[in-house]
Amino acid sequence: MTEAKPVAVGVEASAIVAELRALGIDHVICIPDSYQKTLIAQLQEDPSIRFITACTEDEAMGINAGLYMGGKNPMLVIQNNGIFASINTIKAIPLDARIPTFIFVGQFQRDPMVAVEESRSRAVRMVEPTLDVWGVSHWRLEGPDDIGNIRAAYEHAHKTMGPAALIVGAPTV
Amino acid sequence: MERNEAIEILAEGRGDAVSVVTMQSIYPWHQAGQGEIFHVDASQCMGSASSIGLGLAVARPDRKVMVLDGDGSLLMQLGSLVTVAGQSPANLYHFVFANGLHQSTGNQPLPATGRFDWVALAKGAGYADALRIDAAEDLLERLPEIFGMTGPVLIELTIEREDRGPLWAGVPMSKQTALLKEQLEAS
Repeated sequence: MTEAKPVAVGVEASAIVAELRALGIDHVICIPDSYQKTLIAQLQEDPSIRFITACTEDEAMGINAGLYMGGKNPMLVIQNNGIFASINTIKAIPLDARIPTFIFVGQFQRDPMVAVEESRSRAVRMVEPTLDVWGVSHWRLEGPDDIGNIRAAYEHAHKTMGPAALIVGAPTV
Repeated sequence: MERNEAIEILAEGRGDAVSVVTMQSIYPWHQAGQGEIFHVDASQCMGSASSIGLGLAVARPDRKVMVLDGDGSLLMQLGSLVTVAGQSPANLYHFVFANGLHQSTGNQPLPATGRFDWVALAKGAGYADALRIDAAEDLLERLPEIFGMTGPVLIELTIEREDRGPLWAGVPMSKQTALLKEQLEAS
């Protein structure tokens, strides 16, 4: 009997941080997410990054806009439910005001053994369709082979002057 | 005091402060000639003015940042008081135009109008200081002192009810964000 393989595998936080350093990220605005716990811990300790904890994703997008206009290179770290909570702000700031908004979205409550589309969690299943409805491009981080998607999402946000999401499909390690 | 009196005093006294303005203060701020100088409207995102101001204040600690908020707007993202306090931006001045009403939608009263206290809320959230100003002459007299304080400071401006319909400046936020970024880069 063969053992079932996970659909998504956690990526080393240190590898993600190396990518973010290479992109010149200098500010991270975070609403904590259990799927990115190890990443958040490393970002909090990184001397080249100012780590800002916000109360809501709405605030995080406003802070991101102010930092960007002030010449900084920020990003957001949130969870899937935060996308649903902040749709009005996604409309107004990243989309209408044309602010590059680079967002890591943790798939909170996703079972990495199960494909996103088959997840028992509505939040896991609906985050990508919700982003599609609003025209927000997104990439998946399902394992170490997807590390290049970090740069792809970042570059898309800055090229299009709008939002781009990287969906973190398994807990970072 | 009347909103327009406060706007005129703040426009006159802002110096080189960056401004973030929301809802029914947007139109008079533009009318006062402040809409294209180190400025951005927070439009279509009620409650976001303080967060945008926080980002600017953190990015540019060499510049004062003034947020002209509304009481109804701020209530929509009240937690932002704590987020601002968490970063302790010494250069952030948060003016809250308080009439106890959602003026843009027809002057419907806010919940608990007359019972909640902005000064207590800001201090309780961890702002460095907070004060209330009721009269235009007091705002005129105290503005230099306010801009000399270490932020974040919340200044509640109690303003009178206006029965006019909502007015908007009609300038796309995308134009303003690009212009402000350019101006800040050059300064």
